[in-house]
Amino acid sequence: MTDAVTLQGVTKQFGDVVAVCDLDLAIADGEFFSLLGPSGCGKTTTLRMIAGFEFPTTGSLKIHGQEMGLEPPNKRPVNTVFQSYALFPHMTVEENVGFGLLMKKLGSADIAERVKRALDMVQLTHRAAATPKQLSGGQQQRVALARALVNEPEVLLLDEPLGALDLKLRQAMQLELKDLQERVGITFIYVTHDQDEALTMSDRIGVMNEGELLQVGVPQEIYEHPTSRFVADFIGEINLLPAVVVDHETVRLLGNHPISASTGAASGNEVTVAIRPERFELYDLDEPIPEGMNRIEGTVSRRIYHGDVFYYDVDTPAGVIEAKEENRPGVELYEVGERTIVVWAPAATSVVQE
Amino acid sequence: MTAPTDRQAVTPELEAAAERAASRRGVLIALPSWAYLSLFFAIPLVIVLVYSFATRSSTGLTQLRDWNLDSYARLWDPLVGEIALRSLLLAIATTAICLAVSYPFAYYIATRGPTARNILLVLVMIPFWSNFLVRTYAWRVLLGTDGPLSQLTQALGGEPIRLLFTNTAVLIGLVYGYLPFMVLPLYAALERMDWRLVEAARDLYADGWTAFRKVTWPLSRPGVIAGSILVFIPTLGAYVTPAILGGARTTLLGDYIVSQFLAARNQPFGSALSIAVMSVMLAATILYFRSGARNL
Repeated sequence: MTDAVTLQGVTKQFGDVVAVCDLDLAIADGEFFSLLGPSGCGKTTTLRMIAGFEFPTTGSLKIHGQEMGLEPPNKRPVNTVFQSYALFPHMTVEENVGFGLLMKKLGSADIAERVKRALDMVQLTHRAAATPKQLSGGQQQRVALARALVNEPEVLLLDEPLGALDLKLRQAMQLELKDLQERVGITFIYVTHDQDEALTMSDRIGVMNEGELLQVGVPQEIYEHPTSRFVADFIGEINLLPAVVVDHETVRLLGNHPISASTGAASGNEVTVAIRPERFELYDLDEPIPEGMNRIEGTVSRRIYHGDVFYYDVDTPAGVIEAKEENRPGVELYEVGERTIVVWAPAATSVVQE
Repeated sequence: MTAPTDRQAVTPELEAAAERAASRRGVLIALPSWAYLSLFFAIPLVIVLVYSFATRSSTGLTQLRDWNLDSYARLWDPLVGEIALRSLLLAIATTAICLAVSYPFAYYIATRGPTARNILLVLVMIPFWSNFLVRTYAWRVLLGTDGPLSQLTQALGGEPIRLLFTNTAVLIGLVYGYLPFMVLPLYAALERMDWRLVEAARDLYADGWTAFRKVTWPLSRPGVIAGSILVFIPTLGAYVTPAILGGARTTLLGDYIVSQFLAARNQPFGSALSIAVMSVMLAATILYFRSGARNL
C-alpha cells in the first residue's frame, strides 16, 4: 500500500531563514498523524506545503505516490481546516460547506444532498441558513470541518483547529475529532503545539523543533522514551538530571551516585537522564525497597497540593527531583524537611543526548 | 477631604442625575462642530432651499415673496435634461475608469510588505500637497496643442492632438483628480482582507480568478462602494475641472448652476437646480449603500 503523504528531503527557505530543514516523513493511509512543536518550529510551514500554499525549496512531496510539490492547492486531493476556521463571512453555512463541491462543478441536487449529509454529521443542520458570525466558536469549528470533509479529501489537514476554543469544549472536540476520523477513515494530519491534544488523539506524533523533525513515534513511545532532551522537555513534566555514562546499563548522576538505565552511549559520555515525576515513589528511610529499583536519598524541600496529586521537591545530591504522588485515600504525606528515599524503575529512566 | 462615610448610597434619582451630567458633557464636546456646521452648512443650505421657491425680478434680483414652483418646473426643460445626462455620463465614466485603474493598484499596495506599503501610500497622497487648481492648470499645459503630448505625437509623425477644451480632456482631468479618493478606500478594504479566506477558496478547488471573484471582490465591496461614492458625487457636480479643461460647448451641471447665479442672475432657478442635484445624489447614495450593505 502506498503512503498517503510522503516527504523526502523537503526543505523550505524564506529568504535566509530555513523554516523546514531536510524533512523525511511518511504518513500512512488512514492515520491520525500529529505534528507537534513550539511556535516557529516549522510544523505549520510543513502543513502549508502539503496543502499547496507554500512550495518546497527542494525535496519531493508526494500524495498517494504522485509528486505534488509544485501543484497549486486547487489541484490537490487535500482539504484544510484553518486555525481561525477561515469561513467565508459573506456566505451562509450551507454555501460555505457547498463551496468546494460547487467549484468541482457538481449538480445542484447532488451538492444539496451532500451538504445536508455533512451538516448532519456535525449536527448543524438547523443552522444551515445562518452566517458564520451568528455561530459560536464551537459551531464555526464544526462548519469548517464539514466544509473540508464534504469533499471527501484523501488527506485532511488541520492547523491547530481547536486553538480558539475554551478548555472544556476543546477536550470534547478532541474526542469528537478522533471518533470522526475513525468513522470516515480519512488520513488526518494535525498540527498543534498542545502536547495533550497530540497524545490524546494521534496514532503517531512527529515532534519538530527549529525546522527539524526530532522524533516520530506512537504517543506512548514519545512520552516514555524520548530520544532527545528537547522532546523529553517539551512533552509533559520531566526531571532532567545531568549524568555520565559508566557502561551500557549504568550512568552516574551528580554526587557520584550510580543508577541503572539502558544507556546506548559510549562510556564517559556526558548525557541527560530524563524521568517523569509520576514514575517516582517516596519511601521512608527504614522501609524495605524492592530489588532492582533505582534509589536516591534526599530532603523534602517543598510540597504543593494540586487537588488530584501532590508535588514534592526533593533535594538530593543529584539535584532537585520533582516527584508526583497521587492523592489516594490513606496516602502518606511527607513534611518539608523530612528525609525520604526517592525510588523508581530503571525502565522509566530515559538517557538522552543533548 | 470628604470621608467615604459621607457619601450617600446610590438612589434612582442620583443615578438619573449622574446620567444627565454625563450627557451634558457629551453635548459640550460636540458644541464646536455643531456651531460650525450650523453656521456654514445648515443655514446656507436652508437659504438655498428658500430661494428655490422665490421669484426673480426683471432686474435679476431675488424677491422673497410670491412663493412658487416655477424654478422646479423649469427643471424639465430639455436643455437641463441634456446637461444632466452629459454630467451623469461623465461622472459614470470617471468612476468606472477610476475603479478599473485603482483596484489593481490598491490590491498591489495591500499585498506589499509594510515598508513598501507606506511608501506607495505616500506616493498616492503626494498630489494633495499642491493645490487642485494648480494641478488642473498643469493639465492645460500638458494637453495643449503645443504641449508635450502633442509634440510627442508630432515627433512620431502624427497630427498635433486637439484634446484641450473637449469632454475627453475633462474626463482625463477628473480621473486624475479623483483617483486617490478611489485608491484609498479600496486599499483600506483590501488591507483589512483576511487572506486566509482566499487560501480557503483555493484549498476548496477554486482557481486564482474564481477565488478573486467569489471571495476577494465581494469582501472588498465596502471599499468599492465608498470609493465610487467619493468619486461619483463630486464629479457629478464638478465645476473647476470642466471650467479649466472643458470647452464652451460642453456645459455640465456645475457650470450651469454657477452661470445661473453669476451670469443669468437667476438665483431661484440656480437654487432649484442645486436642490435637485443634491436630492438625486442623496437618493443614489442611499440606494447604493443599501444594495451593498446586504452582502456585508
